[in-house]
Amino acid sequence: MRLYEYEAKQLLARAGFSLPVQYGVADRIAAAEKLPLQFPVMVKAQVLIGGRGKAGGIRKAENKSALRGAVKEVLAARISGHAVERVLLEAAVPIERAFYLGVAMNPVTCGNTLIVGLDGGVDIEEAARKRPDSLFRAELPLDGGTLPPALRRDLERFLAAGVESKPVRAALAEACAQLFQAFVKYDCTLLEINPLVQSGPGLMAADAKAVLDNNALYRQSELLSALGIAGKRHDVSEPTAREQRASKAGFAYVDLLPEDAQRESGRHYVGLVPGGAGYGIFSIDEVQNIGGRIRKHCFVPLNFMDSGGGPTREAVKEMFALILDHPLVDVIVTSRFGGISSCDIYIQGLVACLRERAATGARVVPIHGRMVGTDLPAARAFLEQARQQTPGPLAQLHLAVGNERIMAEAIREGLTESLRQSEGAWR
Amino acid sequence: MSTSSGSEHVKDGLLAHLAIQLRPSLAKYLTKGGVIETAVYGLGQQGRRHALLMREYGAPVAAAIHPGHGAAVLHESIPVYASMAEMLRAHPHIAVVSIWKHFATATDAALEAIEARIPIVVLIAEGIPVQDAQRLRAAAHRCNVLLFGPNTPGIIFPPERIKAGMLPDVFYPAEPEPGVFTSEGVTITSRSGAILYHLSDALAASGIALNGVLGIGGDAVVGSDFVDVVPRVMSYPNTHAVVIAGEIGGCKEELFAEAMRAQPERFPKPVVALLSGRCAPTGKTMGHAGAIIAPGANYGTYAAKKTALESVGVTVVNSQTDLVKAVKKALGGRTYFDPARYRAHMKTLWEEPPRKTGWTTSITRVEPNVLMVRGVPLQDLINGASLVACTALMIEGAIPDKRACSKLEALGCELALLPAARMTLPKDAPISQRAATLFLADAPFAAFTGTDAEWGIACVARMCACVAKSLGHTLPDSGDFGALCATALVGKPARDPALRKLLEAILAASIDHGVTPPSAQATILAASVRATMQAAVANGTCAITHVHGGAGREAAEFFLACLERSRRDAIPPREAAELILRERMAEGRRIEGLGHRVHTEDPRRDPLWRLADKLHRSGPAVALSRDLEEIATTVRGMRLPINVDGVIGAIIADCGLPPITASALFVLGRSAGLAAHYIEEIRTQQPMRQIDFRQAVYRGK
Repeated sequence: MRLYEYEAKQLLARAGFSLPVQYGVADRIAAAEKLPLQFPVMVKAQVLIGGRGKAGGIRKAENKSALRGAVKEVLAARISGHAVERVLLEAAVPIERAFYLGVAMNPVTCGNTLIVGLDGGVDIEEAARKRPDSLFRAELPLDGGTLPPALRRDLERFLAAGVESKPVRAALAEACAQLFQAFVKYDCTLLEINPLVQSGPGLMAADAKAVLDNNALYRQSELLSALGIAGKRHDVSEPTAREQRASKAGFAYVDLLPEDAQRESGRHYVGLVPGGAGYGIFSIDEVQNIGGRIRKHCFVPLNFMDSGGGPTREAVKEMFALILDHPLVDVIVTSRFGGISSCDIYIQGLVACLRERAATGARVVPIHGRMVGTDLPAARAFLEQARQQTPGPLAQLHLAVGNERIMAEAIREGLTESLRQSEGAWR
Repeated sequence: MSTSSGSEHVKDGLLAHLAIQLRPSLAKYLTKGGVIETAVYGLGQQGRRHALLMREYGAPVAAAIHPGHGAAVLHESIPVYASMAEMLRAHPHIAVVSIWKHFATATDAALEAIEARIPIVVLIAEGIPVQDAQRLRAAAHRCNVLLFGPNTPGIIFPPERIKAGMLPDVFYPAEPEPGVFTSEGVTITSRSGAILYHLSDALAASGIALNGVLGIGGDAVVGSDFVDVVPRVMSYPNTHAVVIAGEIGGCKEELFAEAMRAQPERFPKPVVALLSGRCAPTGKTMGHAGAIIAPGANYGTYAAKKTALESVGVTVVNSQTDLVKAVKKALGGRTYFDPARYRAHMKTLWEEPPRKTGWTTSITRVEPNVLMVRGVPLQDLINGASLVACTALMIEGAIPDKRACSKLEALGCELALLPAARMTLPKDAPISQRAATLFLADAPFAAFTGTDAEWGIACVARMCACVAKSLGHTLPDSGDFGALCATALVGKPARDPALRKLLEAILAASIDHGVTPPSAQATILAASVRATMQAAVANGTCAITHVHGGAGREAAEFFLACLERSRRDAIPPREAAELILRERMAEGRRIEGLGHRVHTEDPRRDPLWRLADKLHRSGPAVALSRDLEEIATTVRGMRLPINVDGVIGAIIADCGLPPITASALFVLGRSAGLAAHYIEEIRTQQPMRQIDFRQAVYRGK
């Protein structure tokens, strides 16, 4: 879970770092003006994505009259497509020198790496390219949050070559130790200060980035309540309405198109109700691959969905309802390969959803797919009986039962048939 | 697919290959026994369920660890240990352990398994913190352990029919001719679970066999990456190609490509990579914690992985049909079985009615007209086994030899002669309740410790003292155990050997009737929550009432009433019996001693009648009991065979004993069975299981 800058700074303050005076966070101009400000003030967009400096997300206000304009501009900025909802107001500090300090989970070693840069305030990847000898990198131990003596010696040697002031060197070494300790204590996967500024004799975290490990949130309740965070949050972007609805119902769902996407002519939009996270990702590709072979640039998958292991009948019902409510959906591709999960519960949830929609007159689109696995006889019997009892609501359900054909064939047939039907209707 | 096919391949299978690579010392053990022992760590609902599923699939689940719950048995045959150390003492050759604990506690369990150097550890839990996973990974590498997971569906070896984890039985091994399975084929390793079903389904539809399916886990940090697993798999001669199922996020695929470039000799066989997430957006977690493209990162994307893998000659596919084509090509068109066989197997598997989840008892076989205690017909016990011998038989499975038997007898006498609890009992309470109350308060039994058999004898001996006291009888200062029991029942020292013999036979006839009688159910329920034996047997004894176990007394009263009516009205006893039966029917009363829910010809009937004859104790009541079935049939219009209670009632009546003696006999005799059921429950079942008594299956001798 990514933290906003102002939250990451609170985390750092708890770890003993000095910060520029934090005046507060505001979501509109009036709120910003109420804060007890001492100019000059930095106005900083609070977003979870990088690159805000270049996108106009940071402004300096020298006085009260400049503040309005700065706050207005920053709130109006769009950073990599994301809106700015809040700004942080903090004291602008004089910078004598800037450093980079970071601890990050290293996907190559699966350990954690300490990175110290002599040129702070710039992109670290860029610094690595331009002046590799300005960076210090060291793999950190996995048993506790203390820097080993050998690592400390290497670090001091590196600092001695690049930083003249002895107290600043000592402060930097201490900051590394503090950062690592905080990284371990708060279960971070990234904790970064860029820039760490030398302002007078001390060091100050002028910007901060923190990513907490989602899996460890359960043991970080003290930190979370101090930061005022109720629980696991979204990733980089705000969740869409459908993503929120799914999360409430207890299953994973991701919209693949922007929430306000409009229908484009010549496109056929495909909703997905697969099973399992891995197949959930893969089925998006399958629709594009198989669809592309049927007709280029025609089929557009709408979503990722993962039922999790053994969903209840109600959860299955809601999974179908959610995607049937998608205004763009033209056809649904579904798969149930019951290993742990039961086909019987799946089909009951699906049929209940279709019956309810028929009763309320809600929209239904053709559903194509395949069902195999655990409890198949009961599921088949249920489906046959349901078709006899309520043929109307189930008229658009085309489900291959058993594994006579592989899923890719079921997808190909479903997409072809759905396209043929919709074009027939247009004619 | 027959499960027997599995064991032949174990020695030469992929799992053995992996285990021996990691622990060469296992080789000797494996070639000798040919069994790869697996263990289960954590017996929550998931662990218990999957231990059973793994065993049903064919995996030799040799042991389980459940901290705080040692010395029990899981699914009636898997010994449960309280710690890793305890388990390893008894099972030093465990090759695979699967961990089923919750994410907050699984790390410690996995560390324990890794540090114990069990060669293959499977960590199922999803949601383990990254820093914990990092430590686990480092420990696994340090200890030369192949750690699968966290967040893995597990590993499965279809030719051997061994699995550790939750993968279902949908993976098909090579079958050169129907029913003959071999270990040749393709090995798959994957970051995700459900995708494996679709992957193997497509391969199987083209006759491509799998000899191993290895889930490395869906988290960002897992114990073993593709680069750790694939070289080990490739050194297995029967693996002809490897499929890696990767997905966006992290750099496991990139690192794999790098390793292939640096050390091509470790990757001598064709690799096909199926990558998922070509169309996934950045910055959004797609179900798996590891499946996220970090914004701005130059790794983890579909394109980065594809480029890296293709640059070292790996075929990269992104669809089910392309996967089949690529694997076929890698195998030079070779197939391993007829796809129709695969479809038929899946059909059988899926169409099969759900398996009955029975549970086992091995004490008494109860079938219509058959009663066998530990393989011995109950008739034989009636014909001359002492209550001590019967008790030991029920608990230990065999009648002890003469010396052991007399030792147990001596123990029984010693314990029976200790005083019962001093307390005032409600006067009108049934004998069973009075005896149970005394038994529950019994200090000598509470203090007793000994072997299971001694424990059972102690139970019977103390019940003997309780029965004597509740009948107001005083036991003599000495005597053998049979004499003590007889005195407890009839009040005076039973000097008459014939009466003693008869009482002993009736006690033997009463010892047990399987797990379904209410008294046994009450005891087993208490045992399942690990009440003491004292509480559980008292509980079972309290469940002996006029409805259950009280029929002997009522039958005795019935026979006495018939004989009384016969005398009074000067009519033959038969006629009197007919009259009384009609009266009772008119009142809507049950006729005790007649009919049985299982037996039409109670196996206990004839030996008791014969013994009564032989000992010259059969009088008018026994004679009437012989005619009763016929009389009842005339009156009732349906066949109502006499049952054991009817016969016992008649004998009690002819011996001139008060009818309540029949109840006391039942309470004392059945205490042996209750003790046996208590011990069986705590030794073979998990605490607090849900018990459906109709689902009990007899699996004894």
